[in-house]
Amino acid sequence: MLSELDSLKTEALAALGALHDEASLEAFRIDYLGKKGRLTALSARMREVPPEQKKDVGAKLNEVREAITSGLEVHLGALQAAKDAASVAGVDLTLPGRPADRGSLHPLTQIRDLAVRTLRRMGFTLADGPEIETEWHCFDALNTPADHPARNESDTFYLPDGRLLRTHTSSVQIRTLETVKELPVRIIAPGAAYRRDEIDATHLSVFNQIEALYVDHDVSLADLKGTLEFFFREVFGPKTAVRFRPHFFPFTEPSFEIDVKLEAKGREDRWIEIAGCGMVDPAVFASVSKTRGDLLFDPETVTGFAFGMGLDRLAMILHGITDIRHLIDNDSRFLRQFA
Amino acid sequence: MQVSLSWLSTHLDLGSHSTAQLSDLLTFAGIEVEGIEERGLATDKVVVARIDSFEPHPNADKLSVCQVDDGSGALRQIVCGAKNFKAGDKVPLALPGALLPGGFEIKEGKLRGVVSGGMMCSPKELGLGEDTGGLWILDAGLEIGRSLAEIVGSDTVFDLEITPNRSDLLSHLGLARELAALTGLPLKGARDHAASATAIREATADEVRLEAPEDCPFYTARRIRGVKVGPSPDWLKARLESVGLRPINNIVDITNFVLLEMGQPLHAFDLAKLDGGIVVRRAAEGETLRTLDEAERTLVAEDLVIADAKRPVAVAGVMGGLETGVTESTTDLLLEAAYFTPQVVRRGARRLGLSSDSSYRFERGVDPLQVRGASDLAVQLILTLAGGKADEELRVAGAAPALTGEVELEEARALRLLGMPALTIDEAHAILEKLGLEKTAAGHGKSCWRVPGYRLDLQRGVDLVEEVARVVGLDRVPAKFAAVMAQGDATDRQYDHGMQLRQALAARGLQEAQTLRLIAANQLDAGLGAGDPVATAAALKNPLSEDHTHLRPSLVPGLLATAALNIRQGAQRLRFFEAGRVFLKMPNGQVREEERLALLLSGPATGESWHEKQQRAVDAFDLRGLVEALPGVAALELRRQNDSDAFLLRHELRAGNRVLGWIAQVHPARSRTLDARHPVYVAELLLSALRQGAGGPAKFEDLPRFPSVTRDVAFELPLDLPNARVEAFFAGLKEPLLAGAALFDVFVDATGAKIAADRKSTAWTLTYRAADRTLETSEVDAVHARIVAALEKSLPASLRR
Repeated sequence: MLSELDSLKTEALAALGALHDEASLEAFRIDYLGKKGRLTALSARMREVPPEQKKDVGAKLNEVREAITSGLEVHLGALQAAKDAASVAGVDLTLPGRPADRGSLHPLTQIRDLAVRTLRRMGFTLADGPEIETEWHCFDALNTPADHPARNESDTFYLPDGRLLRTHTSSVQIRTLETVKELPVRIIAPGAAYRRDEIDATHLSVFNQIEALYVDHDVSLADLKGTLEFFFREVFGPKTAVRFRPHFFPFTEPSFEIDVKLEAKGREDRWIEIAGCGMVDPAVFASVSKTRGDLLFDPETVTGFAFGMGLDRLAMILHGITDIRHLIDNDSRFLRQFA
Repeated sequence: MQVSLSWLSTHLDLGSHSTAQLSDLLTFAGIEVEGIEERGLATDKVVVARIDSFEPHPNADKLSVCQVDDGSGALRQIVCGAKNFKAGDKVPLALPGALLPGGFEIKEGKLRGVVSGGMMCSPKELGLGEDTGGLWILDAGLEIGRSLAEIVGSDTVFDLEITPNRSDLLSHLGLARELAALTGLPLKGARDHAASATAIREATADEVRLEAPEDCPFYTARRIRGVKVGPSPDWLKARLESVGLRPINNIVDITNFVLLEMGQPLHAFDLAKLDGGIVVRRAAEGETLRTLDEAERTLVAEDLVIADAKRPVAVAGVMGGLETGVTESTTDLLLEAAYFTPQVVRRGARRLGLSSDSSYRFERGVDPLQVRGASDLAVQLILTLAGGKADEELRVAGAAPALTGEVELEEARALRLLGMPALTIDEAHAILEKLGLEKTAAGHGKSCWRVPGYRLDLQRGVDLVEEVARVVGLDRVPAKFAAVMAQGDATDRQYDHGMQLRQALAARGLQEAQTLRLIAANQLDAGLGAGDPVATAAALKNPLSEDHTHLRPSLVPGLLATAALNIRQGAQRLRFFEAGRVFLKMPNGQVREEERLALLLSGPATGESWHEKQQRAVDAFDLRGLVEALPGVAALELRRQNDSDAFLLRHELRAGNRVLGWIAQVHPARSRTLDARHPVYVAELLLSALRQGAGGPAKFEDLPRFPSVTRDVAFELPLDLPNARVEAFFAGLKEPLLAGAALFDVFVDATGAKIAADRKSTAWTLTYRAADRTLETSEVDAVHARIVAALEKSLPASLRR
């Protein structure tokens, strides 16, 4: 019996070596280990084994079963491993992927959101106003003289009813000051503005601005400077140089234009005019107070700063866009660059 | 405005400041430097030389070898290519080391083997004029060896942008005043011409009559007889030419000089051609005047004119008449110096479409107190340069209005607004004094300042603060930063919602477009269908071009234009959205502004790649799916609307009782005009309606703890029965165990072979579940049977078993 078991083992392991598919391995399993298999048949003969040999034969039987079973498992394992390997054979991952759609936000949306997020971190909230405005909100209340050229029909779009398309988002300053209930006022207003300009590489008749206004007791030039320096460093990088040039706007006094120093490799640094700002002119508070009929914005007690900048220009500078018309053409090849 | 440094130097000595320093000084005083032009010769190594003799070059036909006297005592040999000279001519000679315009440095060298010790120059080579076809032959009287730079003079011309509030800077004296204040350099002469030595006499009504004193409160006239009109002397011509003005004759040049020198426009009339005295009056409607630019102007009643007894002779402050202007034959003059209000001159200049150096200054405001001084200065120059004899007295009508006065500065408030702790009130006062203001009183934290007549912009305390800030500069202001707690409101949420939608659509592969809010009338018809949209679009009163005549009442025309542009660029796969404002004209004439979101899909559903050979084109269901997936949409209901010449399949989109917008296929006829190869689908949604659906935080629902059981049901329906009816049937069932009903198949056969051509077969999976137990088969069977029976009863459905 012992020798029969030994030779069964030898035979089985030899047979196993020649098998290379699942079906023949299953047949092998049935042949040796199945209910009617050869090892099963041998173990059935255990009853005939004399008692003094039972221990040895039992041990041998286990040894042979173990050897055949593990041999089978190793073989099955190897076969599975080969199949797994074959399942990725010929896959060339250097081939291009299936295109996942890459949508994109318009660069103006991105720049506007950058400005909004930055200013919100500084405690500004959003305000809005109509784009079709009254002359009062766009000019009068902003201390613009009655015969100021900007009011001209050659410069500003009008509707037949005498209202106009706002020439700047500064009108939102007035809209806000007319309606707020308490100090401080700390708002930003991104939005479209209109000027009666021929569209060319640097001009659009409809463009985008962002306006900011901070009014409280004791707002000073120092607040204005700190806020704008922080803002431009957030937008253009921490080392950005910012300079303030005195300028003139009817609704701020003093007024400044802001230049940002642009550094480009291989080019001389340039100062780029990027925004206008100033301390709210007391005449603006006086106009608003007249409309409100209260003293919340008494020019004797409140001060404020305001600034405004063109987002189109900001986008052009940040992205190096050479023709402003790209921003309204919406050529997919252009938009894709900002995905 | 063009400003000559050499002219400025007649008022203060700027020699210690480089051009760059001056440019910075002006820039940071709020005077933008738009350009700087250096004129004249920058090098002193170009000298006057005399050509002693010359002979042909031994090795080159076109060259000559010249012996030239440069004043050094020895002759210098120069090889020259020009032919326009003879021996004895004086020419400019650039010596070795001279740097000519364009960075060209002269060196001693050999030309075709012959030594040449410099270069004889043409005006162009020296940057001093146009090519004249050879060497610049100089005046024979010039001293040999003298530096040419001394002879031609040099100048730096600044092109400055003066802000509209600073009319006082529109003259050389004004700028010199400003620079004196900024640099601390002393002015060589008076700060202004407010003083006048000429006696005055009230003009009689026959001499000057002011009929519109509100627009012209002050007019002066002085007669000068026996002048000789002729060319101006070189110095005067050079002054005018340096700032881009063409010299005309001595009289006109003098009035222009005074304008540029001190900012007061003047006008000289030919006295002989005036008929009677001066009347400053409104024009009669329809009166005509031929102005100096030879244009015939028809006047209206609001125009202010200078007239004689018979006719207008000038448009006040804008331009004089041709007929009464100074000519070669003029011998007697009437010199006008007057103050016209900015309003009247601006109105006149604008109405006539005529802007002159004179109107530019009057529009911004001139100093009435210097009118007499300007007249004096001009008369003095006329007498010197053109001779003649002036009236002893200046005839004046009206009085110079006082436009500036005393302004109070509240010191504590000023310093607070400036936010400059290091600035003392003494420093602030010193700045105001440097600017020509005079302190008339001080004490109790306040000071009083008398503002000079030329500073029309200084009317209030804050204007003085502005001056201090401007001169001190923002460099000295410490940057302060204090964040404030900010309470957001609906506008903030609206913004966030807009960004959320944009990001969701970009994440789904759509490109955001931003199209112009102004569109063309034909875009309305073509983009939205003829009829109603035109009526709901607000038209501009004064459009600039036919392409931009209306405010868009919808985002769709813009997206269609975007599609067209991209199709022209060869794109087929179009996936765009735009979120932005539209403008709707209401029946009452008001225009409502509304934020919308529009989507456009067309072409292949997936991007081109080697993986898929055949790509499916998108259809209306792709677009519907996109809309349904938007935040705030959930269950979408569609209501069929009428087809139009612009759209097919147009449906109103609703969620509950909210109208969200609409969806449609662009009419194929319209798609063809866009050259679209695939159907084009659009949807437009109201952001406010979408926002209403996205309210509040999501509410958690317990996850099912017991398994569900599904049963399928298939039934035939009339082909034209909308699926919405079936959905409504299932939604309306009051069966607590029915957890859901989902359509999984729609089958039609146009040939009628498998199912009648006017029928469709639909198959649904119904899901049953109880929250508290596992359902028994018998329970499910019973409910399902009830539902199927109800289905057959409620809908024209026949079950397929």
